[in-house]
Amino acid sequence: MKFSRKILIGLSLVVVVGLVLVVVNITGNKKPKDVVLVTHDSFVMSKELIADFDKTTGYKLKLLKAGDAGSLTNRLILTKATPIGDAVFGIDNTFASLATSNNIIDGSLSATDFGDVCFNYDKVWFAKHKFAAPSSVSELTLPKFKGLTVVENPNTSSTGLSFLAATVDMFGTSQWESYWRSLKKNAIKVDNGWEAAYYTDFSGSSGKGAYPIVLSYASSPADEVRADGQSQTASIMDGCFRQTEYAGVLKNAKNSAGARAVVKYLLSAKFQASFPEAMYMYPIVTGTPIPTAWSSFTQVAPHTYGDKLDFNTNRKSWLAKWSAIFE
Amino acid sequence: MGFSGNWLHAIITTRIASLVWFTIWQAALSAGLSLLFGIPGAYVLYHRSFPGQKFIRAFITVPFMLPTIVVAIGFTAFRQLPFLSQLLLGHSGIPIIICANVFMNYSLAVRIIGGVWTTLDTGLEDAAALDGAGRFRTFTSVTLPQLANSIASAGALIFLYCAANFGLVLVLGGASVKTIETEIYLVTTQYLDLSKAAGLVLIQTVLTITAFIVAQGLSKGKMGFFNTTSLEHRPRVDRRDLPAVLITLVFITGLICLPLITVIMRAFHVDNALSFQNFTNLGGFGARDVLSISVGQAGLNTLRNAIITTALSMAVGILASYLLSRPKPNGNVSFFQRAMDIVFQMPVGISSVVLGFGYLVCFSGGLFPLRSSWLVTPIAQSLLSIPLVIRMIHPALTAIDNQLRETAQTESASPSQIWWLIEVPIIRDVLLMATGYAAIIAIGEFGAANFLAYGDQGTLPTVLYQLISRPGAQNYGMAMAASSLLIGVALSIMYAVSSQGPPHHRKPKHP
Repeated sequence: MKFSRKILIGLSLVVVVGLVLVVVNITGNKKPKDVVLVTHDSFVMSKELIADFDKTTGYKLKLLKAGDAGSLTNRLILTKATPIGDAVFGIDNTFASLATSNNIIDGSLSATDFGDVCFNYDKVWFAKHKFAAPSSVSELTLPKFKGLTVVENPNTSSTGLSFLAATVDMFGTSQWESYWRSLKKNAIKVDNGWEAAYYTDFSGSSGKGAYPIVLSYASSPADEVRADGQSQTASIMDGCFRQTEYAGVLKNAKNSAGARAVVKYLLSAKFQASFPEAMYMYPIVTGTPIPTAWSSFTQVAPHTYGDKLDFNTNRKSWLAKWSAIFE
Repeated sequence: MGFSGNWLHAIITTRIASLVWFTIWQAALSAGLSLLFGIPGAYVLYHRSFPGQKFIRAFITVPFMLPTIVVAIGFTAFRQLPFLSQLLLGHSGIPIIICANVFMNYSLAVRIIGGVWTTLDTGLEDAAALDGAGRFRTFTSVTLPQLANSIASAGALIFLYCAANFGLVLVLGGASVKTIETEIYLVTTQYLDLSKAAGLVLIQTVLTITAFIVAQGLSKGKMGFFNTTSLEHRPRVDRRDLPAVLITLVFITGLICLPLITVIMRAFHVDNALSFQNFTNLGGFGARDVLSISVGQAGLNTLRNAIITTALSMAVGILASYLLSRPKPNGNVSFFQRAMDIVFQMPVGISSVVLGFGYLVCFSGGLFPLRSSWLVTPIAQSLLSIPLVIRMIHPALTAIDNQLRETAQTESASPSQIWWLIEVPIIRDVLLMATGYAAIIAIGEFGAANFLAYGDQGTLPTVLYQLISRPGAQNYGMAMAASSLLIGVALSIMYAVSSQGPPHHRKPKHP
């Protein structure tokens, strides 16, 4: 009697799980017209653009987020035999060589947009404390800027990795570690993600934190325009890294034709024009209109560092050396 | 990873040893502090009565479901306090991680212990008091042994939640703070070093099993005692309860109110003035159409996922707890039951990163094309809530005096009659509470939803993250408004399920 009850309950458990799987199998089969675009977490495509894509191409676009650029690339490498989607957007120049050397892309990657990773500072804070904001990244090691800067961890944030690469390029393989050691001595704060750095520690954002200098993007000041029509923040136009993002068709995609249509659409005039407003990046196609707020509050860095370095060979050793300083 | 022994080599380094040690001590300290504050909390909120009790019971549960970035923003409130900020923000964020762990898990301690405490007989305590024992003496000698089971249960569960809480450590800790969980995330997503990840998962599994064996060993004491008459009235708070009331009051206002109110206040502020603008903005798609679905649509997705998650985890959780609580004829717990208990707890201690990768690889093709269905999100979420549901229902079931069942059996009641007419009425409150927890886990859950849901299937937390990963006051304000909504929804659900039904409803009916 006791034993049979056990079996009964065990069986009903199996039935519940089985039922769920059956339901899922029925509802889960993808229609042939579906095309899945795998992106990083920051990808934004408005409802209108998705509808426009569906209408003009006859496909049905589905979006799937897979972490930051690094997680995205590694997830695609792990599932390359049966990929989780048909096309990819958001592999950047720090991970592009990893993607191509692992053969996850059918054909080649196409650049879609770019943005400059630069430091931002809080103009209001520096005006209130009556001293000049730094104009170069070397100044961040000076005693007067002690304890004022927050950056992102290159191990967990692509923004952080970008600046690490810029320092390797600027200061050279022999000097970049000592630059970071001086930053550490100057009480720089390291957060694991952009969100925490920008919204809990930076004083120039709505989070009203305690640090007036933050590692962010050259475009960020356009979004901190206050009631007086002025931006509360500005960028330090030195030590910037040019981040370029790519899209491509995935190998073994179920819907390669659809994937090609997606990549083509990402490079179309309509989608390119949406980059600044939706993703805070510059469109790659020249002649695409740029919003007016951008022309008044942001500029493209005149000189950028690190974007030509060989990330595939060096990433691990840079990160290990950086971690040795900060752990 | 093969049998080459490479993984063994990969895991035994001083670096790994130190992060395993950190994982253990921060989780143990967090669990200890949660119990330390949770026991007086359970006493005041579940063993005594006062007006507004139901609201406070619901209120303390809210932090449990908050997405970690919201916790981080709430905790910036402590920066304004000069003395505390020094203490909390130093040491690369470790004190604040521990505070945040306690903030999120306090309600678990209160509710699990309190849930059993309400079923305890006050007669024994009254007798001890008559004999001249003070409240504290009565507590340590009479009550504590009866609560041992639930205390160990709550402690083990909180320990595991703290050991596996990956988002919190990542968002509050600096570069130097590392746990097993953050390291697994790092080596899999950034380095693709799967053999090292496998080694770490192994350590984590051992840790999970050890925590449960220790908890089971600690709870060998006397089982809870049940007497139906005790339910009829809980005494009101009186002057002699002052220490417990004070501890609970200070704890709740200081550690729980402050961060939540900070988030809500920011939601109502635009350009340093009071405003509803952030809430009206929620009708749209964010500054410059940052969102691909509206917050309303995300809310509906969240609701649908929550209903499925709750149904699924209650069904499985009740069945499992029922099985686990059937004593063998000699009154012992069988090996089968012990093993099953541990198996059902594994998802708590197993890395969400690993779960995510597992789903990705298993369900992306072939046999189970689950990956492309929206159902994958609620199923993954139930995996996270089932262990909690079991940890709540199982101790309550074992706390029921077995004599009640035996008497009914001799009166030839069938097992289903015993279940529906005796056990369900007794544990009714616990069942409601578990339902509430399963629902708010589904509502607040971010990791699985972000990882598994397609773009138009986004939930409130994924939309919130989309907003907060952009610069700009409007997006930040909307994120705070969305957080306030989450807080409001969680509070309403927990308020609705924390029943204080009239005594005659709670009296078990004899078949």
